[in-house]
Amino acid sequence: MTVDFTVLNAAGQPWALSDHRDAAAVITFHRGDF
Amino acid sequence: MAAIAAVHQEFLDHGARVFGLSSDSPEQNAAVMEKLALTFPILSDPERDRAITPLGFADENDPRLISRPGVVILAPGGEEVWRHTGRDYADRPHEDILLAEVSKLDLSPTTQGLPVIGEAVPGEKAMPIEGLPPYLRGAKFAVLALRGRHRSLDDEFKDDTKVYVQRVERYLEALSGVEERRA
Repeated sequence: MTVDFTVLNAAGQPWALSDHRDAAAVITFHRGDF
Repeated sequence: MAAIAAVHQEFLDHGARVFGLSSDSPEQNAAVMEKLALTFPILSDPERDRAITPLGFADENDPRLISRPGVVILAPGGEEVWRHTGRDYADRPHEDILLAEVSKLDLSPTTQGLPVIGEAVPGEKAMPIEGLPPYLRGAKFAVLALRGRHRSLDDEFKDDTKVYVQRVERYLEALSGVEERRA
């Protein structure tokens, strides 16, 4: 399955996974508020 | 986070970039990135509708609309090649497992620019960095005490506690790297 999404970076700007297709990606999901 | 940051360059050497993701606001994530001196970004999916739910990590049992702990590895091009879904907040794979999975892709080294950070506003429950070592040591010794108290339980419990204690020790070691990255 090809994964694609756009979320927000730590400045509140859109961040697209599709801009990082040239390398592998390790995406770690966190519960937050840590 | 700090444990992954400690081996961030190894991921890059194996051709993989690292991205954290939570349902916290960009301001909260900025605060965590500053606190831990992270060299990779924590991204924000505040409504869980962009990545957390579509990828199956939404914790439907939690009213705070947060993500289960988890990891997804994508090959170049975006195909998912590996994932781990944590049973609870204490269940995360060892970084060596992630590096081993990435190395199977047999990629050339890559680079990752320093993350963009805006205004940092810690969450109300966020723990200051000086609170993390005593918190982790307390968790470690509580688990060790329970392990000693329940020696009669099966090997699964012993293995689980052993892995947890090793993880906490790894986190404690990784926290020492935060000061080094700040310097």
